[in-house]
Amino acid sequence: MATRTIVESPGVVRRKRLDETYIGEWLMTTDHKKIGLMYIITAFFFFLVGGVEALLIRTQLAVPNGKVLSPEVYNQIFTMHGTTMIFLFVMPMLTGFGNYIVPLMIGARDMAFPRLNAFGYWIVLFGGLFLNSSFLFNAAPNGGWFMYAPLSELTKGCGNAVMCTPGMNADFWLLGILLLGIASIASALNFVVTILKLRAPGMTLNRMPLFTWMTLVTSFLLLFALPSLTAASVLLLLDRHLGTHFYQFASGGDPLLWQHLFWSFGHPEVYILILPVFGMISEILPVFSRKPIFGYTFIAWSGVAIGFLSFTVWAHHMFAVGLPPIAQAFFATSTTLIAIPTAVKIFNWIATVWGGKVILNAPMLFALGFIAMFLIGGLNGAALAVVPFDYQVTDSYFVVAHLHYVLFGGSVFGIFAGIYYWFPKLTGRFLGDRLGQVQFWLMMVGVNLTFFPMHLLGLLGMPRRIYTYPANLGWNLDNLLATIGAFIIAASVLVFLWNLFVSLGNGQKAGNDPWDAFTLEWDTSSPPAHYNFLTIPTVRSRRPFYDKKNPDIADWKTVTH
Amino acid sequence: MSEEQNQNEQVPAKDRPIKTAQEFTLNAHKSYWPLALAIALCFVLVAVTANNLIVLGIGTVLAAAAIIGWGLERR
Repeated sequence: MATRTIVESPGVVRRKRLDETYIGEWLMTTDHKKIGLMYIITAFFFFLVGGVEALLIRTQLAVPNGKVLSPEVYNQIFTMHGTTMIFLFVMPMLTGFGNYIVPLMIGARDMAFPRLNAFGYWIVLFGGLFLNSSFLFNAAPNGGWFMYAPLSELTKGCGNAVMCTPGMNADFWLLGILLLGIASIASALNFVVTILKLRAPGMTLNRMPLFTWMTLVTSFLLLFALPSLTAASVLLLLDRHLGTHFYQFASGGDPLLWQHLFWSFGHPEVYILILPVFGMISEILPVFSRKPIFGYTFIAWSGVAIGFLSFTVWAHHMFAVGLPPIAQAFFATSTTLIAIPTAVKIFNWIATVWGGKVILNAPMLFALGFIAMFLIGGLNGAALAVVPFDYQVTDSYFVVAHLHYVLFGGSVFGIFAGIYYWFPKLTGRFLGDRLGQVQFWLMMVGVNLTFFPMHLLGLLGMPRRIYTYPANLGWNLDNLLATIGAFIIAASVLVFLWNLFVSLGNGQKAGNDPWDAFTLEWDTSSPPAHYNFLTIPTVRSRRPFYDKKNPDIADWKTVTH
Repeated sequence: MSEEQNQNEQVPAKDRPIKTAQEFTLNAHKSYWPLALAIALCFVLVAVTANNLIVLGIGTVLAAAAIIGWGLERR
């Protein structure tokens, strides 16, 4: 009967407890590395789900008068595409990297609250399954990823019986987002305490790796931004089910309240999705340029500045609602201001690469691709800060182009850079570099072919979320190109999956420090042991592992910080 | 060469050295309460969505049990 047994002492055989089985180890783990891996795998699964949804959207829009999906299903698909990519892919993926890498980077044995960490992961998994289970009831959320009120109200409250959400669609979204919010708060609290309290001796804030810095800033953003979304969601649930009318104009409520509450979360959210990627890029560029990061202090504090400013720009999403001129001027100015710390980072990254012995392998290519694509996303974002221009293109495909250059060209390129860079630490093996480069170029072509024509479509007046369009508006070619580009992106993801499959089985062994890197996560085995470090390292500069490998020319001997 | 460099070479599980008591004390114990609490909250969520008081009751009891179990668990 007892086939899975362990020997406790000679002659005594007992059944394995649940936590001693392979599955049990993962179900009950509190180890930050296992939890980080689970986050990464789950997020990647949802990336594939969101990707399939994107392909459905693009197939529907490939030609005029398309009927691949019904209008109702189309609404559900684009809503779930946005929701999945933001809340179930990018956020959990970055949390996963933070979970795995940050404790190793700062010389800690684990996160400060290991059980809370595990709880956060399980909530993300079940929250994602809950949201997607709505498809089974043909009641997937259908009001767009920002679920504007009064569109999301019940029939009684929306003021127009046609434009409302009588089914459970909005409830699935609201409850799922509430659940995911709990997970984000849990992980953010955990990161703040871990980073502030568990750093290795000698690792002052001024010596902390930049990925850790950006994770810290992101965690504070989450802690301050999420309550606004939670409050907005609860108020909408009350409107829908308990007869209140916070967002109902006819009863004295204000539909714009939703927009203010949502975007005072939603704009910091953009930086929540990109700041950790800034940190990843700041780790990768120096290693493959064989130079220390240029302008460490400026990069770190510009991240903090972005964090503060991100709370002052929310209403640039609302220029078209008729804000008073003084508000328009304020939010246009603050939105332009936030470009300054962002540009500071870009200049410092370029200066880091400048004059370095650049190694153009897959992680470096993705990091450089990130800079180029994010720069385009930043520039067309600055254009949207100009109120008269925003009036012209608001809620058009120009905005879709902008957010995808930021979130795909930015976050996704950065995430792939991170995957190629840290994969050897996670698994002990390299991801194939040749396939990585094929993937990069396919993705680069695909992204630009998909999203650049969307600028033109927006300028030609194509509204976002439109179900289909007639053939005589001049939109046909650009839409077809965008759809071809989306399938090229899908091909690049397939190349990655093949690379992953081959590398996990037969990838070249990487050793512990395959990139001759500078930070502490490389000063342990690959993958690291349960306890991370046998002895906690002592830090004397910003490149502690470099110091250890090069004691004669250690940073702390020549540089004071 | 780092001092931890060879601590976790890819060797078959049966040949790996047994962990010492000190290694176990370095990290938190495994726990099934986080998973249990997450499942309980899911029950509550499904119950609210489906407007089902029985499932809501089960979810609430499970959540309370998970929180108590979590609190009383040996660290």
